[in-house]
Amino acid sequence: MEKEVILQYLPLYREALLLTLRIGWQGVLLALVFGVACTWIRQLKIPVLKSLVTVYIELFRNTPLLVQLFFLYFALPKAGIRMTPELCGSLGLGLLGGAYMAETFRSGLESIAPIQEESALSLGMTSMQALRYVILPQAATYSISGIVANVIFLLKETSVFSVISLMDLMFTAKDLIGMYAKTLECLTLLVVFYLIMLLPVSVFGSWLERRMRRAEFGA
Amino acid sequence: MKKNQLIAAAAAAVLGISLLSTGTVFADEAFRTLDEIKESGTINIGVFSDKSPFGYVDENGEYQGYDVYLAERLGEDLGVEINYVSTEAASRIEYLQTGKVDIILANFTVTEERAEEVDFALPYMNVALGVVSPDDAVVESLDDIGEDDQVIVISGTTAETYLVKNYPDIKLQKYDAYAEAKTALENGNAAAWANDNTEVIAFAIENEGFTVGIPSLGSADTIAPAVTKGNETLLDWLNEEIVALGEEQFFHADYEATLLDTYGADYEDTLVVEGGAVGTVETEAE
Repeated sequence: MEKEVILQYLPLYREALLLTLRIGWQGVLLALVFGVACTWIRQLKIPVLKSLVTVYIELFRNTPLLVQLFFLYFALPKAGIRMTPELCGSLGLGLLGGAYMAETFRSGLESIAPIQEESALSLGMTSMQALRYVILPQAATYSISGIVANVIFLLKETSVFSVISLMDLMFTAKDLIGMYAKTLECLTLLVVFYLIMLLPVSVFGSWLERRMRRAEFGA
Repeated sequence: MKKNQLIAAAAAAVLGISLLSTGTVFADEAFRTLDEIKESGTINIGVFSDKSPFGYVDENGEYQGYDVYLAERLGEDLGVEINYVSTEAASRIEYLQTGKVDIILANFTVTEERAEEVDFALPYMNVALGVVSPDDAVVESLDDIGEDDQVIVISGTTAETYLVKNYPDIKLQKYDAYAEAKTALENGNAAAWANDNTEVIAFAIENEGFTVGIPSLGSADTIAPAVTKGNETLLDWLNEEIVALGEEQFFHADYEATLLDTYGADYEDTLVVEGGAVGTVETEAE
């Protein structure tokens, strides 16, 4: 390993990390918004909307992000819809993540026995109150590990961004290897930078999980 | 929990790094000699699958093109089956260093930097860089590129290295693969595309609405087969083979079979290098 090479590449990796984080987190935020929206629509039980949500979830859970990005970036312009690579990246991540988040929220909600809602209602709570004080705190506890896993998954999925010309961590490493063939240095930096990006998320996730567990029934 | 996680992560990092380093230790020895290839009955050749008319997959799923025509002959003369391995520009050196292929025949331009990592055989084609752009805004000089304009390059090509070195202010839009770069240009995502001039000329011929505003840029280079650094038996055989093929004007036949439709007869003598002999250019890059 050559130290000078690593020092020389560091700024490029830093830039790539910032881009990956920026687009990654935009994607995660969008994913949460889409996920909540889907869950909400499902709870409303309006027939047509509910089927649309199912179609959306199945479509995006069963196609690779790579294919979705290709579609957004290369196919849509042919239909007159143009987006910057960054927008395609965050929208693609958001759509993919939204489908996963919706499923995670659903499993959280379904893990709460119906008798709890019934009990809450019989105590005189409105259904909003039952949701706010009884159902959601517990559902959130059950969902949180899934949500954290989704966030890490989404941040890692940024590694296919090279197809839409975004210089994320993975593409930066590949590009430098292609130009200067310092494979060992480039890939080592790549591993280190992914860890810098993801370790805090996973540490924060475990902390959050432990904290949320307080709301768990019978804990 | 937190502590355990950190330890696990550190362990993972150490494991990753040590795997990487052993990877390169293997890579130094990771080639097969000529005899080993003959014995196994199969040679692995890395070619492009999306770079028509040099290396591409046709509608029947068969590899075709100028590079592939040569590959077929090499396989025939060695008496072995060919296993084509599809490669991207940026992974050509990697594939040799890790022994995934025995030979790279993927329009590989000879450069000094690359010659430090792999061994090039005698050349079989000439090449320079070129720039193609849409008819309504033809780029005739790289100084015309505006501040907000982007130029498409393919990661790991000589065009990329050239622009990074000589025009550091031009914003590059990089892609992994030819197919994506071409679609991006068609979709109007950038002002121009810089690549080997053979490639951009072919693109302009095949796609209406595009003009090669800069037909020749940078130094005149050659394209040659490459083998893993130190694989002397295979390198020597390749060099002898290329010289021998020159006697039967093989590369002219290759041009006529694969490139004539695209470039016409005018480019034949400019592009073809016969028997490894380039007029003025030094063939040894080292």
